Amino acid sequence: TAGNKIFHLGPCRVSMSTAEIRSGFTAIKANIQARDPIRTLSILSHPHSLHKVKSSDRCCITHHLFNFYVDKVFKHCKTEDSYVNRKISSIANSFLSVRRKLGQCHEQNKCMCGQESAEKFKQILANYEGLNVTSAAMKSLGELDILLDWME
Amino acid sequence: SGELYCSLPNPRNVHFESINMKNVLHWSAPEGTGDGVLYKVKYSVYGVGKWIRKPECRNINRTWCDLSSETSDYEEQYYASVKAFLNGMCSDWMETTRFNPLTDTKIDPPMVSVSSTEKSLSIILTAPEKWKRSPEGESVSLLQVYPGLQYNVSVLNKKTKKRWFFAVSNNTLVVPWLEPGTAYCVSAEIYVTTPLLHSGFSKEYCIATLKDKTA
Repeated sequence: TAGNKIFHLGPCRVSMSTAEIRSGFTAIKANIQARDPIRTLSILSHPHSLHKVKSSDRCCITHHLFNFYVDKVFKHCKTEDSYVNRKISSIANSFLSVRRKLGQCHEQNKCMCGQESAEKFKQILANYEGLNVTSAAMKSLGELDILLDWME
Repeated sequence: SGELYCSLPNPRNVHFESINMKNVLHWSAPEGTGDGVLYKVKYSVYGVGKWIRKPECRNINRTWCDLSSETSDYEEQYYASVKAFLNGMCSDWMETTRFNPLTDTKIDPPMVSVSSTEKSLSIILTAPEKWKRSPEGESVSLLQVYPGLQYNVSVLNKKTKKRWFFAVSNNTLVVPWLEPGTAYCVSAEIYVTTPLLHSGFSKEYCIATLKDKTA
């Protein structure tokens, strides 16, 4: 698709259109973030920033995060706004196809998980589970630019 | 918290205006209030639990506050908030939306320098620098912030009014096969594909190719 870019995650090569995901997110960012009143907690960026992840752990964290968004976030992000819902499902579809590619890397042992990435992802899940499901899902969706900024 | 009863109308349109990551908080005065309104400002890092006051923007009567220093880490996101005071009354705190310096800044056009021979133009493009605390501070080009940064270059033949566009990834461009002794005007813009950012075109830099010595 337009704007596909190859991401080199160690031995794993994944082509993705982050531009397409990002434009979908930008269209609904203000709406989604306005639904998240909690300023003092972040799912992805605190206490440990994604930017501190070692390059050897990038593939595993990326794989975990795409699973996280597909399995735990998008399905809990229904809104009363059909435009927003359409944008969310288009982002979700993009995530599904990337998750499949990352899964293939994982099966081919090109996406190894070390101790640090396990710790990091455990922290993300703890942040997520510290909130009720809908708030946690909406907050995670509102942080999609944090994920994209880190990936790019 | 010992705050006064806040019945003053609120500051309006509290938002960040950011150019090359110089991040300035702006707002409009509360409706219906004349002169004499004072403001104070606080900000917070998203995901961190505390609001931090900005001393230099305490009891100010202007409607902006430079938070570039406080928001210079573009791996973080921020909120800022403003409160108004007048004659012993106060307003509520009014917040910005979540501010992401990386995606919410505007970028200036590149610097363009042009030289010519008889039949070609050599163009050198320089991306603007990220805002820095002081002139002596370390310079960081926006090229380092946005590795995918590219340039669109427009070259106009002033005589024929013919225009070409070039997409350039590195910062130099040589345009060959031009007409000797002819005026050309060059302008350039920066664009980043993701996050999607466009600087808009620079002003035009005009130069003439050298005359053909053999003619």
